[in-house]
Amino acid sequence: MELQDIYYDKTEYVETTSGNKVSRQTVLCGSQNIVLNGKCIVQSDAIIRGDLANVRTGRYCIISKNAVIRPPFKKFSKGVAFFPLHMGDHVYVGENSKVNAAVVGSYVHIGKNVVIGRRCVLKDCCMIEDGSVLPPETVVPSFTLYSGSPATWTENLPDCTQDIMIEYTRNYYQHFVPRPI
Amino acid sequence: MSYLVQEDFVRYECTCGSLSPIPKLYFCRHCLKLRCGYCVCHEVDSHYCSNCMEHLPSAEAKMKKNRCVMCFDCPNCFHTLSIRATTRAPEDGSNKGHLKHYYLSCFFCRWTTRDVGIPDQIASSGNWPLKENPHQELLSSFLEHYKVVAMRERSQKDKKPIFPRRGYSTYTEKFGLTNLIARKRAGLPSLPLPGKEVNPASIPPIKPCVATDVIDTLPASYFTDVPDLTKITTIAQRHANPMIQATVASELHPQHRHFFIKRSLRCRSCEHNVSKPEYNPASIKFKIQQAAYYHVPEIRIKTFEPLRAGKPSEIILKVTNPTSHVTSLSFSPKSEVNKGGVSDSVILDSLGAPKKTVEIPRPVVQDEPNTQVELPTEPIVLPARDDAAEYDDSGDTHNFHDDANVVVWRKGNKAAVKFRIVPDRGMKPGDRSIFSFSMEYGYVNTMPTTAEQKSPQRAEMQVNVLIAPGLIVGNLD
Repeated sequence: MELQDIYYDKTEYVETTSGNKVSRQTVLCGSQNIVLNGKCIVQSDAIIRGDLANVRTGRYCIISKNAVIRPPFKKFSKGVAFFPLHMGDHVYVGENSKVNAAVVGSYVHIGKNVVIGRRCVLKDCCMIEDGSVLPPETVVPSFTLYSGSPATWTENLPDCTQDIMIEYTRNYYQHFVPRPI
Repeated sequence: MSYLVQEDFVRYECTCGSLSPIPKLYFCRHCLKLRCGYCVCHEVDSHYCSNCMEHLPSAEAKMKKNRCVMCFDCPNCFHTLSIRATTRAPEDGSNKGHLKHYYLSCFFCRWTTRDVGIPDQIASSGNWPLKENPHQELLSSFLEHYKVVAMRERSQKDKKPIFPRRGYSTYTEKFGLTNLIARKRAGLPSLPLPGKEVNPASIPPIKPCVATDVIDTLPASYFTDVPDLTKITTIAQRHANPMIQATVASELHPQHRHFFIKRSLRCRSCEHNVSKPEYNPASIKFKIQQAAYYHVPEIRIKTFEPLRAGKPSEIILKVTNPTSHVTSLSFSPKSEVNKGGVSDSVILDSLGAPKKTVEIPRPVVQDEPNTQVELPTEPIVLPARDDAAEYDDSGDTHNFHDDANVVVWRKGNKAAVKFRIVPDRGMKPGDRSIFSFSMEYGYVNTMPTTAEQKSPQRAEMQVNVLIAPGLIVGNLD
């Protein structure tokens, strides 16, 4: 089924020269530490915690409503340290999901209401099903679908996952259009 | 929408007759046929640990019982265990400084090796004690015994006088696959040299199992005490370690993590690879990738009018040409060529033996179309895929002579085509409407099939497509 147009309020969104569309209703802490590499969409009420550590996303990342992107911490004998969070290209983060991962690879699909525990590593071309809980320090290998709580392997993804995700995020960006007046 | 999250609205009929969405299909460029997961051989390329990403060839993985040496699974919730360190003063009271001690802990359910009394280790890699199978000794004695018995039977059989030729011959005799190689393949030790007699006395003794009529009655506590379900393990926890099958949580023991596999797929008819990933588990690249997604025109539902039984409604399908050659699509009623009977032959023997073929029965297709469809009569030309065209916002200047009532939209290698469908009169609201048609398309095969043919060959392909746009809604009246 082809994606239908998703309309947004033109006054609510800021569009940068590199094509990022960022809602004004978001909480971007430490915006100097946040890099969105172009054609990314950050929807309303999303939170990106750049004040904790650097957050970098690739191109065509979609961060849905109420999602939280938060760099992970590690406890040491002398206090805690935060680590930067890198996200690859063509990543979709669903509504209400909390991402605490260390690395999110490219072509990753994270569903709705997902909790990604701290310092998880999501390799390229993987998918987390809606409502899953990924415990801290989990590694999700490529071409796998993880679901459940704790999320475990459920299925393998097709070999053409990369192109499906490229298509999907591009399509989403093209269909994310201002409401016609 | 993405194929990963939606249900399968559009399904293609594989050469074997089963229906799959396009990402799950492969296209063999040598047979020029669609292949689904059932029509390909699955071969394990390499084993890897999903946690530490260590990868091993199959032989080595087998030695390690297909489990990672470093990583452990939580016996309680099956998440990977993490190593945690604590510093502790030396026990003998000497002040040599604090020693680091390590234990395994699950970050999900908070289970630790300390819960079940596994002592902390001094090295972080840890020689974690593994629980031995309680019947290990018995099982290995059986194994030893039957290995020798098998060996003896074999040598006796070899000694038998050669009978006159039978009406048939086995593969091993015909194609010089010697016993030695056959045994090696099966992972058995090689036979003793001919003439060397196996001494019957050398057979390791085994203690045979004895059946008994006397079964101990259950202790009274089973009936009198209230069971504490928090301390009793679940079925899943028991099955995770079938050797031990701990009944109480205090007997749970961590186990080495199972390997995941990378696999390559091979067409069963021509034995060419249709998918071969790179060995490195972190890589998502393929050495050979012939998914149907890159070779077969893709059909998607764009929009459709509400479906009512007996009433015509319009549906717009978006067709995409993924190849780098112009193609032309034409539609006709579903062809029955692929229906019933037997599919093409499959090669059984990959050992270099002459190709023997068997016929595999077709799976039964259960979804029957219940909706009539009016198909466009004129073929639809789709230009080649051009990645640069994605960035071209100028209007398309292709000179296609399309019927505006059929092709409603066109951009690059994509076109939207209008169909008219009529669900059958007897359908009730809530029934799933299904219609089907056959799609013919031109395919340019760049693979040189024979030595003489160097130039790409053009072939006409045909595939049956089943589309289930949605449910019937109630009538207006």
